[in-house]
Amino acid sequence: MKQRALWLAVLIGSLALTGCGSASSRKSSTSGSAGKLVVWDWKSSDKTATNYVAKAKADFAKKHPGTTVEFVAQPFDQYYTLLGAAIQSGKGPDVILFNGGGQLRDRADSLLPLDEYVAPDKSRLAGWDAFSKEGKIYAAPITLQGHPIYYNKTFYSKAGLDPAKPPATWDAMISACAALKKAAGVPCFAQGNKEGYGIQFWMSGMGSSILTPDEYDQWIAGQRDWTSPNVKKIFSLWKEVNDKGLNTTGPNSTAMFMDMYTKFEAGKAANVIGLMSDVGGWHEMNPILGAENLGVMLPPVVTAGTTPSLAYDGGVGYGVAKWTKDPALAADMVRSLTSKDALTAYSADAGAIAADTTVTVTGGGPAAAAITAEIKDGKPALHVALSAKTQEVMGRVSQQLLAGKITVDDGVKQIAASDKG
Amino acid sequence: MPNGDSPLLVRSAPAGRTDEAPAARAPGRPLGERLAPFVLIAPALLIILIFRLWPLLLGVNFSFTGDGEQNGAQVGLGNYAELFDDPVFRIALRNVGLLVLLLPIAVAIPGLLATFIFLKVPGNRFFRSVYFFPAVLSPVIIGAIFNLLLSVDGPLNAVLGFVGLDPVDWLGDSSVAIFSVVGVHIWATFGMGLVVFLSGFATLDPTLLDAARVDGASTPQVIRHVIVPGLSRTIQFVFVTTMIGMLTSMFGLLFVMTGGGPGGSTYLPEFYIWIQQGQMNRPALASAASTVLFLVMLVVGLAQIAILRRGLKEE
Repeated sequence: MKQRALWLAVLIGSLALTGCGSASSRKSSTSGSAGKLVVWDWKSSDKTATNYVAKAKADFAKKHPGTTVEFVAQPFDQYYTLLGAAIQSGKGPDVILFNGGGQLRDRADSLLPLDEYVAPDKSRLAGWDAFSKEGKIYAAPITLQGHPIYYNKTFYSKAGLDPAKPPATWDAMISACAALKKAAGVPCFAQGNKEGYGIQFWMSGMGSSILTPDEYDQWIAGQRDWTSPNVKKIFSLWKEVNDKGLNTTGPNSTAMFMDMYTKFEAGKAANVIGLMSDVGGWHEMNPILGAENLGVMLPPVVTAGTTPSLAYDGGVGYGVAKWTKDPALAADMVRSLTSKDALTAYSADAGAIAADTTVTVTGGGPAAAAITAEIKDGKPALHVALSAKTQEVMGRVSQQLLAGKITVDDGVKQIAASDKG
Repeated sequence: MPNGDSPLLVRSAPAGRTDEAPAARAPGRPLGERLAPFVLIAPALLIILIFRLWPLLLGVNFSFTGDGEQNGAQVGLGNYAELFDDPVFRIALRNVGLLVLLLPIAVAIPGLLATFIFLKVPGNRFFRSVYFFPAVLSPVIIGAIFNLLLSVDGPLNAVLGFVGLDPVDWLGDSSVAIFSVVGVHIWATFGMGLVVFLSGFATLDPTLLDAARVDGASTPQVIRHVIVPGLSRTIQFVFVTTMIGMLTSMFGLLFVMTGGGPGGSTYLPEFYIWIQQGQMNRPALASAASTVLFLVMLVVGLAQIAILRRGLKEE
């Protein structure tokens, strides 16, 4: 009888454990006890991050020999869901990796302001804006992320265009597109908007040549005039490019990651608005197209009087959770994760443009060099300034625009409403 | 009385009838013996209460609180008002209505195919295993396969082009995409319904079929008056499980095939819940949507049982 009661207890106990286990996450991944820090990310299990994590750990161990650090790599597609559950319960990791912009700002009230801790790194690292809210810093950037326009020089040569001089105005771009179609038989842009990201890349990749510098700065500062003709131009041009057949077919059913890039890399389109770190950029295009065939251009001028520039922000960065037991300790971990040694390793292995401006990209070819050269004149990306909610609405509207189910005016009105609300 | 009732009731009923009044005041059996059944069902009951009903109530309660800065504050029906104001949630609900309309097709396909197998068409053994095969594939794999097949420059459109038809953007056209996804879902899951139908056929009384044939009934008459009434329980079961499957198991396909797009046209409530909780950081709003989905499923399920019970009865 006793035996049976014991079994019953074990059964109920294990049921209770599995019941909890599926909703929250693994026991070991919640906030560390004294002498232990838990870091959540979606990168540390990648081979390309092994060196980086080792270097960061070593740097931290020098300062705090008694503290153990546990890296927990979560799957990226579930990352913010799991993090949401952790935030809801007020327990979780001490140090958290974030995408810059909306994903961080929406959760800033669960994070610790880091200004006093990261002050010594402020000038060495770039991209702080994407990790700040209302003047306070909530995370330290490790990479820069932006939206250069890549082009395939082979096609430009084939079309009789100078591959060293990409089109500088929109009219020149349109005629280049016609030449590319005629001579090389490829559409101008690879486009993938299945996830609704295409419009974000379009907005940020082209924005500096559509909005006046004044409008641009106001947009970033939060003063967005959705009735401005130039803002509407971003969306009407988005539609026009597709209507004119300049995009690859079926943009609404083509995933940006990775079908759109696969098309560009497979030589099925001449240009693509890509990323400058990690995926969808020079790091994976160079080996396929040949580093010497991959060019990077600034957006061709659409509105007279604009100064095209590279749009970039802090890409990913580490923040500290409010509930951590020893904020200074966790902040020191963030500083180790952004140390020059660690970032040099990450930049080389993962093919990222590091947030540390003193790190030079080795082996990135002409494309990476062209991007690095534009960083000092670059501006924050337009779409990163929008909330996650507005980005979602914009993605939906952009698909309806391509499908011809909505007018530009109506679409912009919907996006504006979500930006204000 | 359903078969599931415990022997306890069967045993205590006559006891209650013979010495009704004394039983209430002075129990004839020792206390331990009378409590034993309750103790024995307690673990099962507690597990249901603690791990099923209590979280359900917590979730409903949570849906009346705010998100973000209002975290924890009571907002009454605010989340529900926001939900029904959101065009995407309205699309999600409309798509649920569409699924209900498409349900007869989703049930008829396995029913019809099972009938053919039951009537022993040539190659029925082969088809039996082939039909079930997609049911063992994960939605992610199925989604990836159909992403390739249905892409604008994919094989299906190549076939259409071969016979001179214009290509269709199966997953990129907002008026077609939901039908593509539902079609793939039916393809992927009808094997389960088929197996249930086949087991239902096994319980049919062959003498009834023979008698009908002897009486000169045609095949449609046999199906209408013998097979369908005989399978009424099975059909009811397949209807309800298929409906639940459509409302709760299409997430994987949606996620892989359309991501809710284009233009939000393929949203279903569960996808909406995931987006709000995981991407928009709105757990309370997601709870409200979950509560609505729960109520919808309850109403649809009960209505189905009621309609089918009436419709399938042979007078």
